[in-house]
Amino acid sequence: MWRCDLRFATHKSSNEGDSGMNRSMSKAPREVPHIGLDLHVETPENVLLAYQLAGPSVRSIAYLLDLIIRVAFMWVLTFFLTPLQVFFPGTTMGFLFVVWFLNGWGYYVACEGFFKGKSFGKHVMGLRVIQEGGYPITFWPSVLRNFVRAADGMPFFLSGVGFTTMLLSKNLQRLGDLAARTVVITERPVVLPEEPIILEKITPLERDVLGGFVPDEKTFSAIEHFLGRRNVVSHGRGHQLASILAGKLADRLNYSGDALQVREYPMAFLARIYVTFLERRDDDHDRHEAYRPSRVQPTSAAGNSR
Amino acid sequence: MNKRQWIQTRRPHWTQFEKLLQMHSGRTGSFKPKANEISTFSRLLRELSNDLSIVRTRSWGIEIESYLNHLVGQGHTQFYSAPPGHLALFVEYLSVGFPQLFRANVGYFVVAAILFFLPGAVSWAVIQNNPSLAGRIISSQVQDQFDTMYGESDENESPTQRGFGEDRAVMAGFYVQHNVGIALDCFARGVLLGVGTAYTLLFNGISIGAVGGYIVSQGHSERFLSFVVSHGSFELTAIAVAGGAGLMLGNALLHPGQRTRFEALRVRGLEAVQIACGAAAMLVVAAFIEAFWSPSGVPVALKYIVGTMLWALVFLYLSMSGRNK
Repeated sequence: MWRCDLRFATHKSSNEGDSGMNRSMSKAPREVPHIGLDLHVETPENVLLAYQLAGPSVRSIAYLLDLIIRVAFMWVLTFFLTPLQVFFPGTTMGFLFVVWFLNGWGYYVACEGFFKGKSFGKHVMGLRVIQEGGYPITFWPSVLRNFVRAADGMPFFLSGVGFTTMLLSKNLQRLGDLAARTVVITERPVVLPEEPIILEKITPLERDVLGGFVPDEKTFSAIEHFLGRRNVVSHGRGHQLASILAGKLADRLNYSGDALQVREYPMAFLARIYVTFLERRDDDHDRHEAYRPSRVQPTSAAGNSR
Repeated sequence: MNKRQWIQTRRPHWTQFEKLLQMHSGRTGSFKPKANEISTFSRLLRELSNDLSIVRTRSWGIEIESYLNHLVGQGHTQFYSAPPGHLALFVEYLSVGFPQLFRANVGYFVVAAILFFLPGAVSWAVIQNNPSLAGRIISSQVQDQFDTMYGESDENESPTQRGFGEDRAVMAGFYVQHNVGIALDCFARGVLLGVGTAYTLLFNGISIGAVGGYIVSQGHSERFLSFVVSHGSFELTAIAVAGGAGLMLGNALLHPGQRTRFEALRVRGLEAVQIACGAAAMLVVAAFIEAFWSPSGVPVALKYIVGTMLWALVFLYLSMSGRNK
């Protein structure tokens, strides 16, 4: 939730005075420094990719899960090799020592190599190791970051050098990450959401109750976003929040219809505005057949697109 | 074009890209598309990057932005992933890459060797001349262990005995686990400004020297020296090599030169870890020599000859291997 709030603050401030609503919300300074858990990477396709960085707590949990898996693996292996120990006690023990070594120093390297930057614990927590440039991790950086783990784990496993550097560094990197140029990111599969509002059930406003003003795309995005998540807050609070924008919009649109609705059911009012202009914009597109920013005189009711 | 229409026109491309991604992102499988798929993939990746920029500039909401961001990120990961490695690379690394890197950074090795061998030699000399001081470094139980291990009455060392091979196999595994672990620890702690590495080197140098001095002072020098001469070549050198790699990490932070400290750590760290892995490989060799050859019952003279050859081999390997490549 706070992520989108932050975004609104930064975006609004960058082009204030665009509409009445923006003017009222642009109290933030023009340049808001980037704060947040995002890593921005510019790809060769000239687009900024945002990755969400993983913090110390999830990474600690992933570490503990991995530890449990590693210890459990040694137990199970020892258990299954018990029959062999009768005939080859020494060889079995020697083998177990070698596995113990590989388990300690090679577990993460093998996992990150074969499972694209994920150990089992990281997979469960939805984490992945990538290079700072957004590229998948390669062999030697993986070895480096996981060998330095030995120093990061000092003096205790989870609280120590690595934890401290993670808190101090900009991209939440422990020493191994800093040396190997890697970051741990949170990956969440995202699906493109369907239209959040059931548009058919909402009747658009009559055209003669509105003035010529057309709110900009960002305002519609904000409305869409707000309505899509209206279940997050209670009904009353939702109306309270919506009334801020609804009042401003009604003023700006010279709304001459039912004033009671603006005051009592601002959420519904916003939805109706959204639907009204959605259709109008579709009509507009059909007529012009292309996206063409144009300014027609504000008195004409229909032919008005931004 | 408004947002809804735009999404409607673009959506088929997105789902096509999603399908391509899913087809080639089996959890382990690497990215091996057919030729025509590659061109489609590359075109779609650029298209989606463009779409993402459009969504950003027009502020069309966080959902669609994060959806496209996720897709482009996945595609970026797939498209720019490194080609898979193979075994020949490993052989080349050990025969060419590691010795070359070692020689390029030989100064660190020299410092680490001084930190390791000099205190070792001092503690050896001191304790050999005054064995009563050994108790300060080695506890009395451990002293008793060494007395029985290298005592003349010990008959377990005969290779004809049944348990010999089995005992040796345990030790081989133990040496791999223990010694390689120490070397890698020694390397990793270098990142703490080199202090951890220096400590590990000094600690191990002094205690190994003390053990040597104590055993020789008790009159077991023949058995002890013939035991350590062979694997010592690989083992002691490799510890100093790993220590040198650790010092590279520490020195990168202390003396970064024209780079920032962490930038220096990144550049030199990538070389250092390759040196440390070479040291680990040497220690694995040492573990097997130590377990199977060193305690065997062959004549002492032969052990000295082989031991000398192994020292020469280590020297030639590190100084010559991969020189003409």
